[in-house]
Amino acid sequence: MSTLSPGALPISALPWLVAAWLFAVGLYGIVTSRHCVHLVGCLTVCQSATYVLLLGLGYVREAGPPVFYDHPPGTPAVDPVVQALVLTDIVVGAAVTALLLAIAIQVQRRRGTLDPQALRPLRPPPPSAE
Amino acid sequence: MSLSETLLPVAVLLPLGAATLMLALAHWLPPRLPKIVAIFVALAVCAICLGLAHASLDGPVRHWFGGWTPDAAHRPGVVLGIGFQADPASAALAAFCGLMFSASFVFAWGYFDTEHAHFHVLMLLFLAAMVGFCLTRDLFNLFVWFELMSIAAFALTAYPLGRSALEGAFTFTVTNALASFLMLAGTGLLYARTGTFDFATMGEAVARTGSDPVLTGGFVLVAAALLTKAAILPFHLWLADAHAVAPSPVSVIFSGAMVSLGLFGLAKLVAQVFSGSADVTGLVHGLLHGLGLATALVAGVMAFAQRHLKRLLAFSTISHLGIMLTALSAGTDTATAGLLLYILGHGLTKGALFMVAGTLLSLRQSADEIVLYGQGRGLWAPALAMIGGGLLLGGLPLGLMHGATGLIERSASAPAQAITTLATALTGAAILRAAARIFLRASGVPGPELLAPTEREHEKPDRPVWLMAFPALALVALALVPPGAALPFLGAATARLHDPSAPPLALPEGGSVNLVPLGLTAALFALALLRRRALHRPARAVTRAERAGFRALQALHSGLVGDYVTWMAVGLALFALASAL
Repeated sequence: MSTLSPGALPISALPWLVAAWLFAVGLYGIVTSRHCVHLVGCLTVCQSATYVLLLGLGYVREAGPPVFYDHPPGTPAVDPVVQALVLTDIVVGAAVTALLLAIAIQVQRRRGTLDPQALRPLRPPPPSAE
Repeated sequence: MSLSETLLPVAVLLPLGAATLMLALAHWLPPRLPKIVAIFVALAVCAICLGLAHASLDGPVRHWFGGWTPDAAHRPGVVLGIGFQADPASAALAAFCGLMFSASFVFAWGYFDTEHAHFHVLMLLFLAAMVGFCLTRDLFNLFVWFELMSIAAFALTAYPLGRSALEGAFTFTVTNALASFLMLAGTGLLYARTGTFDFATMGEAVARTGSDPVLTGGFVLVAAALLTKAAILPFHLWLADAHAVAPSPVSVIFSGAMVSLGLFGLAKLVAQVFSGSADVTGLVHGLLHGLGLATALVAGVMAFAQRHLKRLLAFSTISHLGIMLTALSAGTDTATAGLLLYILGHGLTKGALFMVAGTLLSLRQSADEIVLYGQGRGLWAPALAMIGGGLLLGGLPLGLMHGATGLIERSASAPAQAITTLATALTGAAILRAAARIFLRASGVPGPELLAPTEREHEKPDRPVWLMAFPALALVALALVPPGAALPFLGAATARLHDPSAPPLALPEGGSVNLVPLGLTAALFALALLRRRALHRPARAVTRAERAGFRALQALHSGLVGDYVTWMAVGLALFALASAL
């Protein structure tokens, strides 16, 4: 916790740009996707943007990992808090992805298609299609 | 540690623990036991939180997990621990969630054929997440509860595994998962600037920092996430699909408690963290106010043009959330008090109305007001609940919602007041029109609602009517409680939301009885009932123009996940533009 004076975290522009790019690419993928599993993949890309952003925020130049097992306390280290956040979010993301894929399997069973453009809740397909 | 400080985490641990135990023992428990346990757990959570609300009137009740109090770090301004804090408003809302869940559990008795307690496990997880969301004072912890709430909600929406339920759940999951990514990114940005997650410490740091684009960016991302949960235009598109296809007992919770918690979270953050930032306050007063009004109006019109009862109620919820957002963005103490009271009044009424929709789905195998024409005869108890609920939403000058509207309108400008009144009347008239068709066989020729999406569906029939009607009537009766009794508590709750040691606020007693919304509701209702087939040329032209307008509006709510995500991006761009100006 050696870096916690407010406003002192060094933020370089690169991680920001990468995060914004990843998020935008993921969004584009979701919007144009024609397959639910592909869409779930795009969602994961969006999520990776948040990981990059968070790790970028906690990065300290020329500092080691926040493990003080063989370093004396006080050695410069990157911020462990954001790493904990990323770890938590990976777990949450895994749960959401699993749930979405399970839903996708059930949709495929019931509808025979996984094209998001064909899936409209409460708007049944014309009778001939069933 | 006092009793209330010990009880604070129990309010979350009890439903979490009960859910875990029930999941572990699911295959051995007798089928009725989980239902009974779930009802009692929800009631216990309600009682604990009421006790906390009472105890916190003397000062906030705090609990630091693992004993990591702010002093434990031995460095002023550094908070390492995660804390829970019950102020009267948060604890009262948590108690309200417990109440809604117990009503919903009673309503859901015998709802599923085979369940192995999984429904109740998910619902208890959902309850734990909502209570945690209310009680935490740590931004990252807030995010975790937000996520847990979302995941439980996703699974519950897809629970029936029907065609529409799966598709609605898919859209719901994708949009809300994106929202939670935004929230995480925003949380990270705020942490980078303030070096803490604790609300109070963060608020001090924000006030010290002053104008800073990173802070504003962090707020925008967190606000966008909470507004997605609270279904504010243009982030609202998922709600109508998800609430319409979820099982009725789940829709009760979604509309009654979950979505308004999003707004409550935002109100709490604005009051406790961002009150010192001029940029954020400007955004709240400007953009959020406009979005609230737009939401109220658009969703009110959409509600009026629906025929599927649950979809109609979902749009009415969005419209009322817009009204609540105008109260939030007004920022005055009376408006905030009005917001808190409105959340309760609206939640109780909307919960009851979704129960009526569920009753019709199980007894008459449809939720389509045109298919159900005249089918509701003999169901006097659901009819009473539906007409009562419709009148309450439409501005009946009685009960909690009327009191809340009076408080909100004290600080609203005349045009804003006109828009919220119109939105109220549109939603009330839509519900009354459906009730008149279903229960009284009274109807004009259907108007734009003929274009609205609908579905043939049904829910499990063999449940006694009284079991479904009793919780609905009880909720309507609670919504009719005179608001004057709650004013002293509300005054304390509003003041403490901003500053835990503030003296209670003296709220103005209920002003004049405002009959305008009810009159407008009656007028719109009469218009729907007196509608006749357009025979003459001018009448046909009017009908055609009306249809074109409504068709365009329905087309925007396309049900396609790609469109919904595009609109979310548009909303974010709107926020970016407003904060750059």
